[in-house]
Amino acid sequence: MNNIKEKISAMYDGELDSSEIDELIEIVNINKDMQKQLSLYSLINVAVNQGSTKLKPKTVHKHSFKNIFSNVWFSNGLTAAATVLLTLTFMNFSDFSRLNENIDSTNQISSAINSKEAQLIAQRSEEYITDHVMKVLNDPNYMNSSSQIDLRNVGFNINTSDGISFTKGKEKFQLRIENKDFGLKKVRYWKHGNKMIYLVPLENGKVVTLYGNISITSAIEIAKSLDR
Amino acid sequence: MKENSHDIDSELIKKAKKGNHGAFNILMNKYYPRVYASIFSFIKSKEDSEDLSQQTFIKVWQQLHTFRGDSAFFTWVYRIAINLAKNFVTSSGFKKQKINTSIEDAEIDISSFDDIESAVIHNESLKEINNFIDSLPESLKTAFVLRESEGKSYEDIAAITETPIGTVRSRIFRARELIVEFIEKEITNNE
Repeated sequence: MNNIKEKISAMYDGELDSSEIDELIEIVNINKDMQKQLSLYSLINVAVNQGSTKLKPKTVHKHSFKNIFSNVWFSNGLTAAATVLLTLTFMNFSDFSRLNENIDSTNQISSAINSKEAQLIAQRSEEYITDHVMKVLNDPNYMNSSSQIDLRNVGFNINTSDGISFTKGKEKFQLRIENKDFGLKKVRYWKHGNKMIYLVPLENGKVVTLYGNISITSAIEIAKSLDR
Repeated sequence: MKENSHDIDSELIKKAKKGNHGAFNILMNKYYPRVYASIFSFIKSKEDSEDLSQQTFIKVWQQLHTFRGDSAFFTWVYRIAINLAKNFVTSSGFKKQKINTSIEDAEIDISSFDDIESAVIHNESLKEINNFIDSLPESLKTAFVLRESEGKSYEDIAAITETPIGTVRSRIFRARELIVEFIEKEITNNE
């Protein structure tokens, strides 16, 4: 029985050999204890990632640890996605008129986007977006790249107190431009607490990220001004 | 979530799309607690979160053929869950909605979920579980935390801890077993 449970544990981690899946499906399907086991493993994951205490291993070899974890934030991103998904409200916004695709071109690309390669790219894009959003939320220095951008033409000024955010009336946000498009074809936005995160694709193949107290209308207006 | 996990999920989804209820059951058992926790963070009601979690998986089953795999499976499931939760919040002043699909018809054994999810997610148990994990034998704790908190693959953990992959797999399993035992003994019995 423990052998089966160990396989369930490995399957939960995505570490089971695919040739063993069929056997496990049959066993789990008829055995409520095994179903419960799998569910509990997931529950433990929720508990670990929602718990107030951040767990850290203590006795790993420090040198190898340092090397392997040198890019730890990025590698954590996908596991951390669970946490971000618990706190963010996912929404899509698609009335950015210049990004509308006509039916013909949609049909033309539909076969292309169904290819395995395209799906992999799309999947990776989703993961990059998740990582990006996590950095926006968790890394205070990540959005500090806006000082060179002038938004006075749309009425926003640099906030003199911090030098990195833009303000106009009650609206206050930080901005960052990516040199990659994340595969975005339309505006995506998320609500986090009382702040918003907007990812707006630009015509030049870049993506602008806006984070703070700002409306969708202002976000799009700013993006259009950056395109000019 | 790492590549391997996507592969296994993809395999399960492919089988579920072909009508393999067992494969779907595994996906549901794997993701139900996370869906429940997501909805609960939005709705703040245990009973309604349970209803909506069940509705989510019924909808997932009904719409599975439309899942193209261009996002992680949980991301897709999560969107369904949150849309249901948002509709629930905005519809008729939080009036209780009934599941309009027969669970039996769908052949999804939702009844197999008992109150254990609620017990763990709703009270101080999160802290207790974390304290318990902290007290695990160091070798088990290290493997488990590297996997669950840091998202490391078994291969990476084996390299970090300089142990064979089979030992890593076994340690993570043993850690989980001890935690499950703790949850069942110390937490659900105290509810």
